[in-house]
Amino acid sequence: MLAKNKMILGMNARNLSYLRPFNTRAAIAIADSKLVTKRVLEKAGIPTPKLYGVLEDHRALRHFDWSVLPPSFVVKPNFGLGGEGIWILFGRNKQGKWVRARGETVNFFDLTSHISTILDGHFSMMNLPDIVLFEKRIQMSKTFKPYSFRGIPDIRVIVFNNVPVMAMLRLPTKQSQGKANLHLGGIGVGIDLATGVTTTAMHKQGWFDQKVDRSPDSKLPLSGIKIPDWDTILEMAIACQNVSGLGYIGVDVAIDKEQGPVVLEINARAGLSIQVANLASLRERLERVRGLKVKDAPHGIRVAKNLFGGQVEKEIEELSGREVIGLREKVTIFGKEELKADVEAKIDTGADRTSLDRDIAEELGFADMLTWFDTLTFPHIIERGVDARAFLKDVREKYLGQHPDLTEIGLIYSSHGMTVRPKVQLTIRLSGRNFVTNVSIVDRRNLRYTLLVGRNDLSQFLIDPRKV
Amino acid sequence: MEQLISTMLAEGVPLETILLLLLLPIVATFIAFSRQVIGLRGFGMYTPLIISFAFVETGLRYGLGIFIAVLLTGTLMRFIVRKARLLYFPRIAIVLTIVALVMFLMLLEGAMSSRTGFISVSIFPLLIIIILVENFVAAQIEHGARAAIILSIETLIVATISYYLLTWEELRQFVFQYPWVILATIFINIGLGRWTGLRLAEYLRFREIFRHVDDAREE
Repeated sequence: MLAKNKMILGMNARNLSYLRPFNTRAAIAIADSKLVTKRVLEKAGIPTPKLYGVLEDHRALRHFDWSVLPPSFVVKPNFGLGGEGIWILFGRNKQGKWVRARGETVNFFDLTSHISTILDGHFSMMNLPDIVLFEKRIQMSKTFKPYSFRGIPDIRVIVFNNVPVMAMLRLPTKQSQGKANLHLGGIGVGIDLATGVTTTAMHKQGWFDQKVDRSPDSKLPLSGIKIPDWDTILEMAIACQNVSGLGYIGVDVAIDKEQGPVVLEINARAGLSIQVANLASLRERLERVRGLKVKDAPHGIRVAKNLFGGQVEKEIEELSGREVIGLREKVTIFGKEELKADVEAKIDTGADRTSLDRDIAEELGFADMLTWFDTLTFPHIIERGVDARAFLKDVREKYLGQHPDLTEIGLIYSSHGMTVRPKVQLTIRLSGRNFVTNVSIVDRRNLRYTLLVGRNDLSQFLIDPRKV
Repeated sequence: MEQLISTMLAEGVPLETILLLLLLPIVATFIAFSRQVIGLRGFGMYTPLIISFAFVETGLRYGLGIFIAVLLTGTLMRFIVRKARLLYFPRIAIVLTIVALVMFLMLLEGAMSSRTGFISVSIFPLLIIIILVENFVAAQIEHGARAAIILSIETLIVATISYYLLTWEELRQFVFQYPWVILATIFINIGLGRWTGLRLAEYLRFREIFRHVDDAREE
């Protein structure tokens, strides 16, 4: 296990190789203050939750006009770390008390004493006097509602060198009391960067992070959740890196029912548990991105999708034991005597059988058989009304076995009736898998694809029409 | 150097002071090592360090006893003081009052049963261990009760090992004879400061990933 030392990004390596060199003190100062973050992001047009008010000190608390607050809001320590000290108030009950995530109620005194504790710097990173923010409570989007307990899920994206390198969805649980932070008991769900679909999940149980498949509260499976506005989220994360100047940044995005994706906060010391959620190494990914010239956000997203996407596909392949292919695939056809051809094939689920262009078949060593087949004296095109089955039976009896390369005779249906075509046996390699099949030889000279792979040969594949 | 030390001793600098001063860099290096290589967090550098020195004064048995009594009181007080919803400083002051009272009772019990070793413990090491309760209460508020207990246990482990380093006779002899050796800790710390490997605790934390990557390799 010690040999794998270099595979995973640990605290030491993160601090020394990424935080120190890439996160300047000025940039960290932006990230550490939620208020400054908000101002910087808003200036750049990146949406953040609406700010209702700020309390700079105890005096401001005494003179605060509480009427500016709606019944439901969030109280946050400006210099808070790891979600601590944040109170989410869902609204007021009949007695005028605010209701918190676990259903417990707080009165005015409780709220002001919590605010005092924040102002005293209790949740601030250096225990220095703090500032209190009142923010709009994010309203849960429909997608996540079944998966989260009370609080708001968020999406953490790590961006390095303008490239999103890893992402996870953080879901609040009963155990985390409605907070999405993993160390408080939230669930971290890995996200495939290419598709924005969730993959594996982890949950802190007892001392250790455990891999989980289902939500402990709703028992719903956690993989396969499609994150809405995925590309927008990635773009926002890259934009946050640019405006903050943090080289290694963790961006937390929540999706509001009305506002859409908003940046909750940016982190200068993004944690490492995201690796457990994704079951992947950050170190490897960061090293692949380091030093790349990435010109803008769309470029960064393309790089991320190409380098780090495909986890979902891999997982589907693992589960189903089948290969995921697109509608067009590069294939290799092996003919006679080690002849082979590389062609682009059309995956055609509308056809039963596979057919190959005559020119390619000739290249693969079947010219002799094809010339011989042409000389056979029976009508190669059958008019409508003729009993095709009887005819075919007749032809098969007569000619099968007459030429070693001819393995079958078939009919190809077309607009002007049916054509009798010879078939040969070939091996085709598609997406790393070989299969042997009988292929009809037809004239596809005027068509774009020289090989059409039909249903009968696709049983070991799954087709994703978006895959290219 | 030996000459210098002899002069100091002759002029009345206590031997224990010189020894502990020379051992301090070694203990500090050990704490740095536990953080960077083993992954024990504890309450920073100061608390485990100062508690290990307090243990030297009180002896490990009484030191641990006081330490655990302080933590138990701190935990119990959490339930009581939390209900009262007080601001931070008054809350700490109340917890300290109760801890002081518990210490008082413990000393009383010690006096009744004539535990001379315990009752003759001087006030400063006692205070050092008592003040640990602030770290503990702060950790409870910021990271929750569970984390506070874990951090305290880690502090206890680091402080106890440091205590053994401080009282290790051979090590004492060694630094007394070769005081300059403590400069070597600087080089060890430069090494530790540049170490980018995984901490031992992280092998546990990331074991799922190791397992997963293993599977992927085997395919």
